[in-house]
Amino acid sequence: MKVVFDAFESFVGVNVWTMLFAWCNLLIIYLFLKKILFKPVKNMIDSRQQEVDDMYQNAETAEADAKAMKAEYEEKLAKANEESEEILRTAQRRAILKEEEILKEAAVEATRIRDRAEGEIAMEKKRMLGEIKDEVSGMAIDIAAAVIGREVSPTEHEQLIDSFIDELGEN
Amino acid sequence: MDLSVNGPKVYVRIEKLYQRFAGTMVDMFGNLGNLITQTTVSLFAVTIILIILGLVASRNLRKRPGKLQVVTEKLVNMLYGLVADTMGKHNLHFAPYIGTLFLCSIFGSLIGTTAIFRSSTGDLSVTLAWALVTTGMVWYNNIKNFGFKAWLKGFTEPIVFMTPMNIVSEIAQPLSMAFRHFGNVAGGSVLTSLIYAALAVASKLLFGWLPAAVASLCPPILQAGIPAFLSLYFDFFSAFVQAFVFCLLTMVYVAGACPPPEEEVKSEK
Repeated sequence: MKVVFDAFESFVGVNVWTMLFAWCNLLIIYLFLKKILFKPVKNMIDSRQQEVDDMYQNAETAEADAKAMKAEYEEKLAKANEESEEILRTAQRRAILKEEEILKEAAVEATRIRDRAEGEIAMEKKRMLGEIKDEVSGMAIDIAAAVIGREVSPTEHEQLIDSFIDELGEN
Repeated sequence: MDLSVNGPKVYVRIEKLYQRFAGTMVDMFGNLGNLITQTTVSLFAVTIILIILGLVASRNLRKRPGKLQVVTEKLVNMLYGLVADTMGKHNLHFAPYIGTLFLCSIFGSLIGTTAIFRSSTGDLSVTLAWALVTTGMVWYNNIKNFGFKAWLKGFTEPIVFMTPMNIVSEIAQPLSMAFRHFGNVAGGSVLTSLIYAALAVASKLLFGWLPAAVASLCPPILQAGIPAFLSLYFDFFSAFVQAFVFCLLTMVYVAGACPPPEEEVKSEK
């Protein structure tokens, strides 16, 4: 082996040693870059792609779920509205009925009270008339006794007094 | 005008082998004694650069990428997309090799612009070695997927007459790939040096009317700007295109030996 620096190879030529070195270097670079660069980077890209795909998938699923839930809630809300309206209507109807009932009861009560009061008034009137009649008859006896000048017995002269009062009443 | 067009400089030579083969072999194989050349050094330099780049680019990969990781992922994604488009989804396991080939090729071409190293792809040995790998992959996958007999039988198709033609084309395939890549890179560098030399002459003519003492002080001004634009094409654009073409051809040839699996064909119909 000898180190030389002045010689050149032919411009167009094949050197088996150079070919061997070229193969070795190509193999080394290939194995190295494949292990350290191409495979890891490709795996990274693929795994990220996978992740993104999964995320989109999840998002789509979530969106579909949310839509389904929204529809469900809207349905529930509509039902609740309907129910509340129904309750309100029922309550109103019941209130009207109750009102009418109360009014009716009140009217009945009022009639009853008036009737009783009228009865009482009539009785009082009768009683008063009786009292007045008794008093008047006493007074009449007194007056008559004074006029006649003698004792008038109510029992003896009852018929007379009564006819007198009746005549007075007619007048 | 003094210009020589050389192959890679020889650094280490195995004297015995060299003496045995020098002059006895045709010129193309007369290099057998040359153990280490400029190209070898370039190849190792590219290997080290790519290993460092690989380590830097793949450092702490995270789900939420940094700026560097975004670029790395974009490039790796482009690579896998290209392989999937050209070779089909079932051949995605070839993507790391295609990526390696592309990086080796483009860095091997661009390392020539450093002026320290010679382009490793400017040596036919390197491009031929790579092309032979492609051919090996094609043969291996043909035999694996169709069987040895079917592969041999493929040479007699469409008719038996065509057998010599098929063999020639099988040999021409790696040779044409190797020479295309080598020729473009090496030719580019030769053209660039030719233009440099021509511009040096033109510069001299430009200042030739001055007295000799003054003219020797004037810089070779024409050499300053023009080669930069040529270099953009011959070095950078050509390096990219050749790397791409080499990878594309490799993908197409290998994909031809790796048809999609049966189920996939059926499902596509």
